[in-house]
Amino acid sequence: MNAPAAVAAVLAVGAITYASRAGLILFLADRPLPPNVTRALRYVGPAVLSALSISLIAGGQGIDGVTGVEVAALVAGIAAAALSRNLIVSIGVAMTTLWLLLWLT
Amino acid sequence: MSSTDPTSSAEHAAAARRHDPVVRLALRHCIPLFLPAIPFALVLGLAISESAMPTSVAWSTNVVVFAGAAQLATVSLAATATWITLVATAAIINLRHVMYSAALAPRFSEQPRWFRWVGPFFLIDQLFALGVARPELTADAWRRYYLTAGVFFFTAWNVLVTTGMLLGSAIPAEWRLDVAPAVMFAGLVVLGLSNRPGIVAAVVGAGVCFATLEVPNNGAILLGALSGVIAGYVADVMIDRTGAAA
Repeated sequence: MNAPAAVAAVLAVGAITYASRAGLILFLADRPLPPNVTRALRYVGPAVLSALSISLIAGGQGIDGVTGVEVAALVAGIAAAALSRNLIVSIGVAMTTLWLLLWLT
Repeated sequence: MSSTDPTSSAEHAAAARRHDPVVRLALRHCIPLFLPAIPFALVLGLAISESAMPTSVAWSTNVVVFAGAAQLATVSLAATATWITLVATAAIINLRHVMYSAALAPRFSEQPRWFRWVGPFFLIDQLFALGVARPELTADAWRRYYLTAGVFFFTAWNVLVTTGMLLGSAIPAEWRLDVAPAVMFAGLVVLGLSNRPGIVAAVVGAGVCFATLEVPNNGAILLGALSGVIAGYVADVMIDRTGAAA
């Protein structure tokens, strides 16, 4: 890809990214949302972040990209987060589980 | 030195920012969220150094785009895709940001106009997770919290991606550090859950995403997210009705 095409692509991707982040913030800023919409938006956080977590585990390779070892590490991390209420402990437990299982298998 | 000395005023302002408890709180919350992103930043740095784009243009995605997955798609597909394909792919990958934008719109509605324009630039996954989880902060405190975290992530991201351009290939793939971001987001969900509809939203979001993993272009994230939001909303309404009927 030559330099002008690359610059055009980067600027366009930048504009699309900004528009996706700012669009509704700017559009809805001075408009009250219907109560039902506000109620539904409370669940964007858990729904998107849990889906994102599963997608990252698959690593873009579909269901075949999810291995038992990775699922075990993820479950261990979730359990550690629930018990410790500490994100670093959760990540530490998950990665230790992953390395241990990879070493054993 | 007089009290009207501009240098002295600037020093006082800087000192006040350093001792602002909201700023310290934001920094304390940022670090555990950024650690799992380090492997991804290093991988992106490596991809930039190997991109078919001129290296300086590929690096500029850090500043112009500032969205890891969209950046990786842009610099990786440059060898095989037209720029229109690149833009369309990035748009699909970024669709979840539209949901972030909708969810945070009520918090931004109480902010000054300049911040409504500047703030969304920093709205990455981690910042959404932090921003949506702080309803107790006043509008002014939330703005300082959000900006501190946004500038932290932006600076750290640029430093690490640039480091990855130099060192990325030195990290052994066997360490499987690519798993850490998935664990981080799952942990954030768990820490943020406070009621049954939230649990329903998370479980349905993850389940539908898993069931639709074969959908191309990160479609599974969107399908999972939409299903989770609808399920959470329905659960919320049903619990309300059950409570009212009891």
